[in-house]
Amino acid sequence: MVRDVSVEPKYLGTVPPERRWNFLSFGLRLNILEWGDPQAEPLVMTHGMWDHARSFAGFAPLLAEQFRVVALDARGHGDSEWADNYSWFVDVMDLVGLMRSFGKPVFLLGHSKGGGQATDAARLAPECVKRLINIDGFGPPEMDDLRSPPLIMADVLDRRRKMRSSWRRYANLDELAERRNAQNPRLTSEWLRYFSFHGATCNEEGWTWKSDPNMAVGYGPWRPDWIGPSYAFVSMPMLAIIGSEEDTWGPLPPAILEERLSRIPNLIRYTVPGAGHFVHIEQPHATADVVMDFLRQ
Amino acid sequence: MVIRCGRLDLEVHTLAERPGTPLLLLHGLFGSSADWGDIASTWPGPVRGLDFAGHGGSAWTKGGAYYPELFVADADAVLGRLGSAYVAGAGLGAYVALLLAGARPNAVPAALLLPGNGLDGGGAAPNWARGSEYLLQASSTEPATGYDPMVRTLGGDPRPPDYARAYADAASNLLLVEDGSARPPWWEAVSQSSKARIINGNSSEALTLLADLPGASQPASAA
Repeated sequence: MVRDVSVEPKYLGTVPPERRWNFLSFGLRLNILEWGDPQAEPLVMTHGMWDHARSFAGFAPLLAEQFRVVALDARGHGDSEWADNYSWFVDVMDLVGLMRSFGKPVFLLGHSKGGGQATDAARLAPECVKRLINIDGFGPPEMDDLRSPPLIMADVLDRRRKMRSSWRRYANLDELAERRNAQNPRLTSEWLRYFSFHGATCNEEGWTWKSDPNMAVGYGPWRPDWIGPSYAFVSMPMLAIIGSEEDTWGPLPPAILEERLSRIPNLIRYTVPGAGHFVHIEQPHATADVVMDFLRQ
Repeated sequence: MVIRCGRLDLEVHTLAERPGTPLLLLHGLFGSSADWGDIASTWPGPVRGLDFAGHGGSAWTKGGAYYPELFVADADAVLGRLGSAYVAGAGLGAYVALLLAGARPNAVPAALLLPGNGLDGGGAAPNWARGSEYLLQASSTEPATGYDPMVRTLGGDPRPPDYARAYADAASNLLLVEDGSARPPWWEAVSQSSKARIINGNSSEALTLLADLPGASQPASAA
């Protein structure tokens, strides 16, 4: 089975990236996609966990009319290299390094985990970020595992002893898209086929995700109640976007979201009607409109 | 001996080879197994010294991700070969020894925690106010001798006292070596655990006390 580009699924409104280049971060090759005039002001975009930069292909072109949109495949995702190990901090450092490479402050947008990392990058390197947009990346509501840390750590160690080097393989693209549908029940099958095609690779044995399965094996003292206090140190204007509809991930329960966002000194909030967690994919035009308004201020 | 941990090859030094229960030594930040000198001579059994990832003879982590729990996985890979082992750690290695002893209480009869480089980490809680200056310092790729420059990021990881205490309470036995100097909050919390015993003296004397604990001198095979 050889991947045939002629079978690339089409999805209305998506535009292939106009440029593709590599950014070297701590010895790791990261894949960068671009839309828009290279002389325009950079708008850096970073995606969420198990996602990839190409999933901005329906949203980025709407902003590329005015900005140089630069979308990053995070390490271990999409067409970026796999690392030996992963940490939140080096993901954030990748973002900071990429922003610094432009030699001037940029606009920064992140979705889900990418939204949380974009917010951390903006807090740690405020001189790099003019304005920040976080799309439903405000962290989990609480710890998803309430056992004692050493018990969780023992499980993590057991899993690391059995680390796998690849995902299972699927017979065809439809099976892969169906698997993803379990995580993204609000997204259409047409979108999931488009997403899966660009997030997977194929050989004689079938289709498998490009992302590194070992990214899921990690643990530490981090806890959700650290998120709110960190937001107090976000110094630039921030646009916080959520969707109006409940989804597998987000939006957070209102009281928790309020508590966290109330710490941000210079905040604009917007709820996009008719969207779940993947706000910019479900409602790209409405999301682009509010982002454009925010960036023009 | 080289062992595989995930995608990394780690150097494990045989510092003593004799019958008895194994002792695993975990060095401090920026160090290596060479830092232990001839301490192995005081242990009544085989002694192994692990070079953490990014240190000594072990591989550097491609992409530069380092945090203490990853070093726990390094040490756990050696523990898996040994079956069970007493563990002694200095500085960062002491913190790693604590986490390993708490996560693997049946395989670590006791752990000895010694002062050394990288003991404090980034304090009891994250410092949200720190910004670019910290970032530049932590991610400096200025070459270093004997370690990956990216292990400098280990100077800033938060080590909450309640997190450390949970590992202490889950461990079988802990010996903490005091010398009168200041200790970080996580150490103070661990010292309050019923599993912890405070001792004074140098590392060789402390190892002798560790060896006097039940089971330390029982014959066992080592990898």
